[in-house]
Amino acid sequence: MFFFFLDLLALGCINAILVLGLNLEYGYAGILNFTYYTFAAIGAYVTAVTTMGKPPPYLGNESYILQWTLPWPVGLLLGGVAAMILGLIMVFVAVRRLRSDYLAIVSISVGLIVWEIVTNDVHLFNGSNGVFGVPPITGSLPISEAGYTAVIFAVSFACLAFFWWVARRIFRSPFGRVLRAVREDEILAASYGKSVFGAQLWIVLIGSFMAGVAGGLLIDYVSAFNPAGFLPVETFVLLAALIIGGSGNFNGSIIGAFLIIELLLEVSRFVPDFGRPDLVGAVRAILIGVVLIVVLRYRPGGLMPESGIRLYRKKKGEAKQPEPAKEAP
Amino acid sequence: MTTTQSAPETAADGHNEHALQIQDVRFAYGGVQALAGCTFDVARGQVTGLIGPNGAGKSTLIEIISGGMRQQSGRVLFEGEDVTTMGRTRVARKGIIRTFQLSRQLERRPVLENVLLGAPDQPGERPLRAIFSGGWQQHEEELRRRARELLEWVGLTHLEDSPANALSGGQRRLLDIARALIAEPKLLLLDEPTAGVYPALTRLIADRVRELPSMGVTVLLVAHNMSFVARACEDVVVMAAGQVLTRGSLESVRANREVVTAYLGG
Amino acid sequence: MHLLFESIGFGLVTASVIALAAVGLSLQVSVTNYINFAYGDFMTFGAYVAYSVGAAGVNFFLAAAVGGAVTGLLGLAANLAVFRSFIERKARLITLLVVTLGVSLILQNAIVVIWGTGAYRYPIRMGNALHLGPFILTPGAIILILLAALLMFGLHLFLQYTRFGKAFRAVSNNNDLALASGIDVNRVVNWTWVVSGFFAGIAGVGLVLETNTLRPVVGFNELFLVFAAIIMGGIGRPYGAMLGALAIGLATEVSGMFVDSAYKSAIAFGILVAVLVLRPQGIFASRGRTD
Repeated sequence: MFFFFLDLLALGCINAILVLGLNLEYGYAGILNFTYYTFAAIGAYVTAVTTMGKPPPYLGNESYILQWTLPWPVGLLLGGVAAMILGLIMVFVAVRRLRSDYLAIVSISVGLIVWEIVTNDVHLFNGSNGVFGVPPITGSLPISEAGYTAVIFAVSFACLAFFWWVARRIFRSPFGRVLRAVREDEILAASYGKSVFGAQLWIVLIGSFMAGVAGGLLIDYVSAFNPAGFLPVETFVLLAALIIGGSGNFNGSIIGAFLIIELLLEVSRFVPDFGRPDLVGAVRAILIGVVLIVVLRYRPGGLMPESGIRLYRKKKGEAKQPEPAKEAP
Repeated sequence: MTTTQSAPETAADGHNEHALQIQDVRFAYGGVQALAGCTFDVARGQVTGLIGPNGAGKSTLIEIISGGMRQQSGRVLFEGEDVTTMGRTRVARKGIIRTFQLSRQLERRPVLENVLLGAPDQPGERPLRAIFSGGWQQHEEELRRRARELLEWVGLTHLEDSPANALSGGQRRLLDIARALIAEPKLLLLDEPTAGVYPALTRLIADRVRELPSMGVTVLLVAHNMSFVARACEDVVVMAAGQVLTRGSLESVRANREVVTAYLGG
Repeated sequence: MHLLFESIGFGLVTASVIALAAVGLSLQVSVTNYINFAYGDFMTFGAYVAYSVGAAGVNFFLAAAVGGAVTGLLGLAANLAVFRSFIERKARLITLLVVTLGVSLILQNAIVVIWGTGAYRYPIRMGNALHLGPFILTPGAIILILLAALLMFGLHLFLQYTRFGKAFRAVSNNNDLALASGIDVNRVVNWTWVVSGFFAGIAGVGLVLETNTLRPVVGFNELFLVFAAIIMGGIGRPYGAMLGALAIGLATEVSGMFVDSAYKSAIAFGILVAVLVLRPQGIFASRGRTD
């Protein structure tokens, strides 16, 4: 039982980082990256191949590039950087020419392309079998499963705390102000000399980095990753968590992440599979889709709406504030 | 029919006397010649009004000057520099700030934030600085002080924390001006700053605009409300059918027969 | 040289399928002003329906038509049940995109629930390759190409010459103006979804015929090529989409001569990138504003 909670916490933290990063891009800067999970995947792969060394012989054939043996924190960092590079590519192709639908198309396309390349080119990351046998970050220290989960939880929590702090700093800064302006009204932002492209680029870089690190943490935890994890449904789950938790609200992202993870785990336990195990995943996905559409329709702000009216409260006086208008996301 | 008046390009001390020079700008779309060789200068340190019947090309010109649209021929010079092909962002950074006919705001954000957005060169706008260093906080404090000053000047202090969409039409125009001023513009382009605003507020806006040259700002404004123009502008340029018809003080221009015909003839 | 013509032949088949799909999607986009990201799954759905109907013994052409028709109904249902309530609330474009993606997720997985994740085949053979001049095509491929051309030509006639077609064009050009002219915009929108769904379904069947695999993701994976075609033609321009499809189809197949076929999508993507960077309004669109 205790182990179940530890597992939940560890995964929850990792997913919270993902949701937070996606929230920075979407909820905060209005950039809809439909293939966000691909960035995590790249991070996972790069973390693995820079820290794993040679393929472990006892697990079967595996081939991948690099095969370095750097220490695991460096691996995580490199995973983040690799994801950032992908983000750079995507930005220069799409975001330069705005329009959310163009970006949506390009991001999905990028995702499909990366998926195809990774699946087809076995030398890169072992093709459709994926990379497995990633050694624990504790190295050869004897440690129980629960103990390792606790370690991962600690590291993930630390990363989450750091990224949460970064997000908060951004939110409260003039840079955050520029982002909000870019999201709401680009023309207005540009008319005051703000670089729309620059702001968006930075946010995608930061968000991508976060995805990459999260991916690295994930593969360090579960020791394997394969292209099935690239599929669009994964990004969609994150998006659902984001929207339910509250777009543009970072605490909401964390809550949303934990909620969705919990929901997914519970659903897997209680849905009967009618003798068809593939049904569970499908039903889960349908559920997520339906919940998301319903939430968007009836409570688009999510559980915790974007705040920020209080950013400028003066110490003295209490100016009466009218209700902020109901928002559609 | 055009009458153009342009003083010599540089005054004796070598400084360009004109903040803005429009030189033979042309633009057509869908068979309509919106600007047919528009030429005039805007003197520095003045409030110049740009008037004319609908379809004269005034708003198109403002769009082109501010970089939202590209002209098809002709030049726009700002303090002697060719800014014709610059986009919005660069034009703004040169010191040309504009307001919009349909007032644009960050609707759900507080009025104060809307004003703060306008300020240029904020150190806290650079992401790495914003995240990892604290140096920008002082600048921000200073900025907020200045923003509150401006809000007081336009009479919006009591609405500082309200979201912009809670403001009336006239209040939004005032917010536009406050934001434009925190941007420390050299040239301010006001596109119909009193459209849909009631008379008392129109007079207030006119008075504030009149003060701008003493704050070092040159103003070019487009307006239809003649009492506003009379109250705010020192000099008036009349456009019709994509060209400059005449210019001068409002009284002299009003008496001009061609102007009357242009307005009535449509 | 043989290889070139063979590739061109394949290219025509690929292009036909993409064109059918692209036309349907483009039509829907031009009328509703947002992209239906579930479109690929509409295609998959049509293909599966045709499969089931065909497996019950019905003549395959009829089964394909039924597939198209049912998908058309699906499109209508999606609009009425889901999209319309967001439109009425003036939801942001980005919200609508997310919603269509939600529908995509639901549809794709509903297909899994109904038909399972296994791969199916159509009970029909494309026939042996024929030599027509320098081209090598199977009879099935030829029929596919002709059918696509026929359907698109039919659509063209419909758009140009019927009253309803004129209403379509009016709504896609200017919604408010059409409304003011007394056109029942809602009806036009609903019918657009039916037509769009129909084309998706038929394209789905064609896709399965062309690639000989029927799996829950086939439509979604193809969607990307359809996007490429639409972007080349300019979003919301059905005629441009047809030309774009031709370009994409030919380019991907002909490039297969030089590059490993697994990277065909990469080629199409490269073209897409080039178009986006150089002419984001599409190759066939007219000049636009700076922002």
